[in-house]
Amino acid sequence: MSEPQTAPLILALPSKGRLKEQCEEWLASVGLELTPTGGGRGYTAALKGVPDVSVQLLSAGSIAAAIDAGEVHLGVTGEDLLRERGEGVEARVALLQGLGFGRADVVVAAPKAWVDVETMADVDEVAHDFLARTGARLRVATKYFSLTRAWFAAHGVVDYRIVGSAGATEGAPAAGAAELIVDITTTGATLEANGLKILRDGVILRSQANLAASLAIPWSASQRAAAERLINEQAATILQTRLANG
Amino acid sequence: MRAEPPLPTAAMKAIRAPFLEAGAMLIDPPVIQPLNELLDLAGETMRARLFIVQGENGAEACLRPDFTVPVTRAHIASGAPSGRYRYEGKAFRVARKGDEASHFEEFIQMGLEAYGERKDPPADAAIAAIAWRSVVAGGRRDLAMHLGDTRIVADVLRVLETPPRPAARIMRALGRPAALSAALDKAKSPAGEAREGLAAELALMAESAAVRKLEEAWASGELEAVGGRSALEIVARLRLGAQAAKERRMTDSEATLITDLSVISGAPDAALDQARAVLTRARIDIGASLDTVAERTRALVAEGVPADRLSLGFGFRRPFSYYAGFLFDITSGAFGPGHAVAAGGRYDPLLRQLGGPVGGHAVGCMVRPFRAWSGASQ
Repeated sequence: MSEPQTAPLILALPSKGRLKEQCEEWLASVGLELTPTGGGRGYTAALKGVPDVSVQLLSAGSIAAAIDAGEVHLGVTGEDLLRERGEGVEARVALLQGLGFGRADVVVAAPKAWVDVETMADVDEVAHDFLARTGARLRVATKYFSLTRAWFAAHGVVDYRIVGSAGATEGAPAAGAAELIVDITTTGATLEANGLKILRDGVILRSQANLAASLAIPWSASQRAAAERLINEQAATILQTRLANG
Repeated sequence: MRAEPPLPTAAMKAIRAPFLEAGAMLIDPPVIQPLNELLDLAGETMRARLFIVQGENGAEACLRPDFTVPVTRAHIASGAPSGRYRYEGKAFRVARKGDEASHFEEFIQMGLEAYGERKDPPADAAIAAIAWRSVVAGGRRDLAMHLGDTRIVADVLRVLETPPRPAARIMRALGRPAALSAALDKAKSPAGEAREGLAAELALMAESAAVRKLEEAWASGELEAVGGRSALEIVARLRLGAQAAKERRMTDSEATLITDLSVISGAPDAALDQARAVLTRARIDIGASLDTVAERTRALVAEGVPADRLSLGFGFRRPFSYYAGFLFDITSGAFGPGHAVAAGGRYDPLLRQLGGPVGGHAVGCMVRPFRAWSGASQ
């Protein structure tokens, strides 16, 4: 067991898919290379020639949860997943650096057939009427409970319900499971194909892969130094400020 | 998870006594409540405060966050035209982020709900006085009762002939200055952004022609017919929107009137005088509503609530829209805002929403014994 002063920096990186590849490209761009460590499961890794960093390979969702909970120092995951951790997440997580890949938008989408619904103000009115007339609330299918609640509240829309959706959210309106969706999209093509359109003021978040630091875990001087080798100057300043204020 | 420690028996007995004298039937509704119904009533903001539970059969439920909804359901199910119930038991709410250290998630609520009874100021005062006597028995010396009545602003909006949607938005925003300001701005300039393309065309056509055109667009596959709204509904809304410019807009002085009313708060007599002055200046007559508020204050004093412990605010509103009309909070300096020792009011709309009789009356009060008890150390 290492002394706290010399314990490694724990870095969480995506374990699979395009995000994993793009992450390795980013690491290469700062002169680093991921090497698998012993343990055939593939959950841990190391950075070649960098002994004071220990890498954990996790799903993007688990990385966001681990940073929030203070189980790792740093992690790369989608900004959408970090912000979905809830109101006040910025007190526990410092978003240090957008990495320029994994770009996608979290959007509010409504049926194209609803030609009178183009903005959140339209949603407000239609939802209010719907509830008054039918006694039922407009349903919004999404996995982003937190982002959706905050966005709708900010636009004064209260007469709706969230219907949890683990996958294929864009199919929910056609299946009659919801009227609106909040989903992540890259080209918008899937939304189109499902008879949906993005509201004019419906972009909740322009997300990308982000390198984020946990403010819920203790940081030693050596761990800070290890972090600074991975991040750019601006990010280093942010980290310094946030750790100082914490 | 923090659970309230229990109170000494003697303290509970004293706090409970006024409820025992209220002629109410003890009721013990289920702790596990259906989730969907509660969220349908209270909206998504409630979800973050609920302990959600799930059995193996998959139906999502929650631990009761309070008693009002379950008791109201039970009363409606009984079919009785009227009823008075008292309850005492645990309720459960997830602490708000940042509040964890000071907020109990498992706590005792004690309360009374009365249905189908006379609705007048003495009846209102009698219910609030039960809560007052109960809290006073807990021993705190710095208690105050804050009164409100959402009828006042609602009556003003009615006299101003504010259209229903802006009016609903304004009522919802009461108690939140920034939201109220935004709602008033919207009421002053209702016209939204200009419509384009097909939407713009439909707005200007005769209704049946527009409906036909939209349905053709859907059928042709131009726009897939996804979503449970009819073409008629959509066309009607577009045409209504085109008339929005002609709809009665709220004037600046009317908006100022609402803002001025919503910030009046203080000793009841002074607050009433201020409200009367504001309305007189604006030449708005809302009839007897302010007299009702005055009568209620007198009735409360007659019931033993000290006049110098009463305050009245016209911007006082609960987040759950089913409270309408008379409402009150009892607070102590020992706790911050948002942590009332007791609360209550009228909630006729909830009765209706849960399937109760149209025009039915519902009023109640709830006490937090642990907060009322002066012997509690935080």
